[in-house]
Amino acid sequence: MNVKVMTSHFGALEIDDDRIIEMPDGMIGFMERRFILLSSDNNGCFFWFQSVDNPALAFVVTDPTAFVPGYEVTLTPDEYEKLKLDPESAEIILLAVTNIHHDSTSNITINLQGPVVVNPIKMVAKQIVLENGKYGIRHPLFTAPAPEPSLMKKEGERPVVSPQKITALCSNL
Amino acid sequence: MLVLTRKVGEELYIGDRICIKVMEISGGKVRLGIDAPTSLRIYREEVLAKVKSENRFAAEWELTDFQRVVDHLPKNSGE
Repeated sequence: MNVKVMTSHFGALEIDDDRIIEMPDGMIGFMERRFILLSSDNNGCFFWFQSVDNPALAFVVTDPTAFVPGYEVTLTPDEYEKLKLDPESAEIILLAVTNIHHDSTSNITINLQGPVVVNPIKMVAKQIVLENGKYGIRHPLFTAPAPEPSLMKKEGERPVVSPQKITALCSNL
Repeated sequence: MLVLTRKVGEELYIGDRICIKVMEISGGKVRLGIDAPTSLRIYREEVLAKVKSENRFAAEWELTDFQRVVDHLPKNSGE
């Protein structure tokens, strides 16, 4: 069944309700409990993680494993339960929250210390906090290009990733 | 808040399965040893606070910035 989702960035969207991801604990520091992933052909490896209930709340997320080889998250039994994961065949998708820094660097960073873990079967997600000292909260991806179009294209610094697993959960923009 | 006093080497139980031991006190710092079930995730308060503030910051993406970033990504970067 289609539901209408209001978004600040993209206006009103018709979304299939089986694409809604429940977050019983929300994103850390936020109250919102339901999200959708939005993709478009031009967005490469980046997705919008949009609140269903608050048009103004949207994060940019990406697949951390595409940028950080060997990145992994060990879940506790409580988290398995919360995510309704089958411990025998626990397929999960990891999303890293992305930031753009409006300082002199324009760096794009991802938060490896607070990944969002998604159970793609049950469409449940939880943001977890890792305290292992291994991963940073602002892991640099690359420097954003300057606002002037057609300038600053740097070959060789582009991420090449295969975000199909996340795309499968997305609604198209 | 329950407040208890412990000396170095002394322990404290929370329920049957969580034990906190004062390992060392020096220079205004307390080193704690924690024995707890692996089902509990333990983290310092400031790590949680950092994730929270990083989330708040991350919720402020402008569409124009996003467009600027993805316009410089390769098309069809997946296979």
